Amino acid sequence: MSENKEFVCDSLIIGSGIAGMQAALDIGDAGYNVIMVEKSPSIGGKMISLSKVFPTLDCASCITTPKMAASSHHPRVKAFTYSEVEKIEKTNEGFEAEIIKKPRFVIESECISCKKCEESCPVHLEDEFEFGLGVKKAISIPFTNAIPQLPVLDESKCIRCAACARVCPKDCIDYLQKPEKIKIKAKTIILATGYEITPMTAKKEYGGGRLINVISSLQAERLLAPHGPYGKVLRPSDGKIPDSIAYVQCAGSRDESIGIPYCSRVCCMYAVKQAMLLSGSLPLSEITIYYMDIRAFGKGYEQFYNQARAMGINFVKAKVAKITEDQEHNVILRIDKQEEGSVPMEVKHDMVVLSQGLLPSNKNFFGLNIEKNEYDFVASSKPDFSPALTSTEGVFTAGTACGPKDIPDTIMEAGSAAMEAVNYLKSVKI
Amino acid sequence: MSEQITEKDHTINENYRQKPKVAVYVCHCGGNISDIIDVKKVAEELSKYPNVAISREYAFMCSSTGQDYIVEDIRNNGINRVVIAACSPALHELTFRGALSRAGLNPYLYEHVNIREQASWVHKNDKEGATLKAISLTKAGVEKILRQDPLNSIRVEAVRGVAIIGGGIAGMRSALSCADNGLDVSIMEKSGSLGGNLNRKGKVYPSGKEAFEIANELSKKVLSNPKIKVYLNSEISFIGGYVGNFQLNVKKSDGKFEKVKAGAIIMATGFSHYKPQKGEYGFGLADRVVTLPEFENLLENSGEKALEISGKKVSSVAFMHCVGSRQIDGIDAPGKNGKVNEYCSRICCGSIISSANRLKEKFPEISVFDIYTDMRTYGMEHEKYYKKASENDIIFFRRPLEERPKVEIGVEKVNIKTKDVLTMNEEMEIEADLLVLGTGMEPNDISDLVEYLKLPRSSDGFLQEVHPKLRPVEVANNGIFLAGTAQGPMDIKETLQAANTASVKAAALLSSPDIPLDPFVAVVDEDKCTGCGLCPKECSYEGALIMIEKDVKGKKKKVASVNPALCKGCGACAAVCEPRAINVAGWTLDQFDAMVEAIAKE
Repeated sequence: MSENKEFVCDSLIIGSGIAGMQAALDIGDAGYNVIMVEKSPSIGGKMISLSKVFPTLDCASCITTPKMAASSHHPRVKAFTYSEVEKIEKTNEGFEAEIIKKPRFVIESECISCKKCEESCPVHLEDEFEFGLGVKKAISIPFTNAIPQLPVLDESKCIRCAACARVCPKDCIDYLQKPEKIKIKAKTIILATGYEITPMTAKKEYGGGRLINVISSLQAERLLAPHGPYGKVLRPSDGKIPDSIAYVQCAGSRDESIGIPYCSRVCCMYAVKQAMLLSGSLPLSEITIYYMDIRAFGKGYEQFYNQARAMGINFVKAKVAKITEDQEHNVILRIDKQEEGSVPMEVKHDMVVLSQGLLPSNKNFFGLNIEKNEYDFVASSKPDFSPALTSTEGVFTAGTACGPKDIPDTIMEAGSAAMEAVNYLKSVKI
Repeated sequence: MSEQITEKDHTINENYRQKPKVAVYVCHCGGNISDIIDVKKVAEELSKYPNVAISREYAFMCSSTGQDYIVEDIRNNGINRVVIAACSPALHELTFRGALSRAGLNPYLYEHVNIREQASWVHKNDKEGATLKAISLTKAGVEKILRQDPLNSIRVEAVRGVAIIGGGIAGMRSALSCADNGLDVSIMEKSGSLGGNLNRKGKVYPSGKEAFEIANELSKKVLSNPKIKVYLNSEISFIGGYVGNFQLNVKKSDGKFEKVKAGAIIMATGFSHYKPQKGEYGFGLADRVVTLPEFENLLENSGEKALEISGKKVSSVAFMHCVGSRQIDGIDAPGKNGKVNEYCSRICCGSIISSANRLKEKFPEISVFDIYTDMRTYGMEHEKYYKKASENDIIFFRRPLEERPKVEIGVEKVNIKTKDVLTMNEEMEIEADLLVLGTGMEPNDISDLVEYLKLPRSSDGFLQEVHPKLRPVEVANNGIFLAGTAQGPMDIKETLQAANTASVKAAALLSSPDIPLDPFVAVVDEDKCTGCGLCPKECSYEGALIMIEKDVKGKKKKVASVNPALCKGCGACAAVCEPRAINVAGWTLDQFDAMVEAIAKE
């Protein structure tokens, strides 16, 4: 580990997804210095990997890339990517954070993002940006519009063939790079640590992640993305264009059997949206959504749902009891249709998407004394006065770190957390 | 990453005086454009066009790499004008202006050509045609930018104060945040007290707190804050001015008028509960049919022994969801505006379930029925209430989306007939002593304010933001922000968050003494102006364009005069000016001529 470097800022934001970026921009615009710390190699969070977003159907990149570019060009916003927060301590002057900057094995100041290393690398790996649907090289820039445009070498998979080192025109591959320890002093903290989706294995009855044509909702986002892994929608087992696709709602929410009794707020709408996009790209396919309640509660969402129904998407009120497959890996759902008296029946689909719910991404808050709710999301200390406040003075929260929510609600919360942070900075004058 | 101005920047800034060197960038928009349009061909065709020095295509021009190309070409390749063929300028015009500024070039020496909405999306079945159209449009863009002068944003001095219309929790939260930020705040409230819809007895959902306690916590702080002035029982008779300099004529409780000045306005005008029409589910036909707020009041004021309505003991209550929400044209009767409320009011499912639970917990012997279609108890705490309702033996009926229950008023009971999905669409009959209508939210009637400020409204009647993700609390009019349920249904927590977001934007806007505005406003060539006076008659913006008498080259002359802060650059004046003496900067008639010619040439 190399020596400590020290940075000072007004506001330290943990997470650079849409919540973190929006808060950074708002605080930066108010005249304060911000540092964002991001564990992934690029800023942008989950949103940058989505296809299009409801209810406007803008491509997610069209909304996220400008925010990414704006925060990376903002004179008062700095980002540490590929960096983990080790711990944060409250001090008399505010907070002190210890960050570990993970090695990319590339000399960042020298790299010109020419991608020659990536082209020359002989090792193919599963691409986590495509949620396992595509491949990447052992050294690669994480995705087209990543910020920064710096490659990361996967040390555990690299075969040390030095192909990349040989082609690099700037000689900036460094196999011996070590993690770097960084200290950041800040007056306020914003927790924008985001979410993870409930694991595919969470519900054994739904195949537990074993059935090849049962995919996750984030994989479905990539299939539908304009620059996705295949450029079209293909099912994983045989590359066939699926003729019938089903969505299983509440596959990881409203389900006490897996310890997630709450509603995840976004799954109904993303399923409706994906169904609309699918019916656009596969007009002959049959698309069915098995649901309990369609929760289209946001502005313009009911109209969006009505539009989906008018497009011929089948909405079936049914609970899915079990998912299996036949020999061709077609997916078989055992369902109880509410309208037909809950008589169990079996239906077959080419591909099934599980509408998974949202779990908190971070639960320990780096040693900060932060009150959580019973599901480990950050709890608001004054939900009826200013919901961005947490139990520790000077620490604010926004987005899915404090509960499942959609992008518009997340952006509202980011602005709110920024307002609280800015006014706190004005009041403390430290 | 601070950007220092160097010698080189000054040279670049002056570069526009050199022979034009246009760079054209064609964006793939990650497939949105390149799946239909042959972007390579567009870039290639443009590279042959006169005055084009560089022509490139790239996956995402808006990404950091895309912007770096622009900066690089300006700084190192002598580019002095830029055309970007991409998405809608509404999305990324500001992004690219930023890139030009960073490179040291005047940010208005760039033209944004929309080949997504205007070509790839609308001509997806004609790839060749779409490509040709993209080429024509981009060539027109080049012609336009060749005739572009560098422009500078107009700077207007700003009053460091915010006027907040509405004294509910959204207005109060915004007021406190703005005041803490150092701004002077005025709250205009039409009623006699702060608190809005929370100024009542009864518990709110999901916190279970007393409504008035939430309002009181905020209002105590508001009333004791020296930076906040509250006008109760006030009326706004007019709002004029523009961003940085709004002027509100306020009729105060004593009948006297006061002029309130503000740099920004926050619209926190809130909602009203939907009022069912007479006969809608039996409403207005008997006192046994009440709205949810009326029921809340009834429950709150009932004794411990029994719930009574008009002196009679109630032993069964039915709740009806989606009254005034999720309405369907042709099935539900339109409201006063001639339209049905298609939207979901977001909070009613939760509020109904919470009320039903409290009823059951206070009077366990009362039978409670709940007629719903989708149970929208979204969010973490909310689902618990729903589960509790089942444990409380509340009996649920699920009506099909397009069916409406029929309500008959009996001698002593209310009779409700509904189809029930939960029992194989069987027709069910429910007899209840009391029917509670789960009424939704409607925007308050603010048609006068909408008129004064020319505010946009969405199809559901609520105020309309520019974009739900890019600019969620701003309206198209500069300096006006939305807070809370004026924009759409929200619960308490969501309202407070929205109010804070409105405040952070207002605070940023007013953080410097002057506000930059777009320079696309009418400009008068006083030599050419004949003083005919036709143009002010066409102008729709009060005070933006007037005739004045002034000295022009030593001669007294009548000429048109523009107030750039009020002009919206619509061009109505330019259309009637025969000598072409008035033009909108950045959109001159000469530019239009050249663009049309470039397109018509093909």
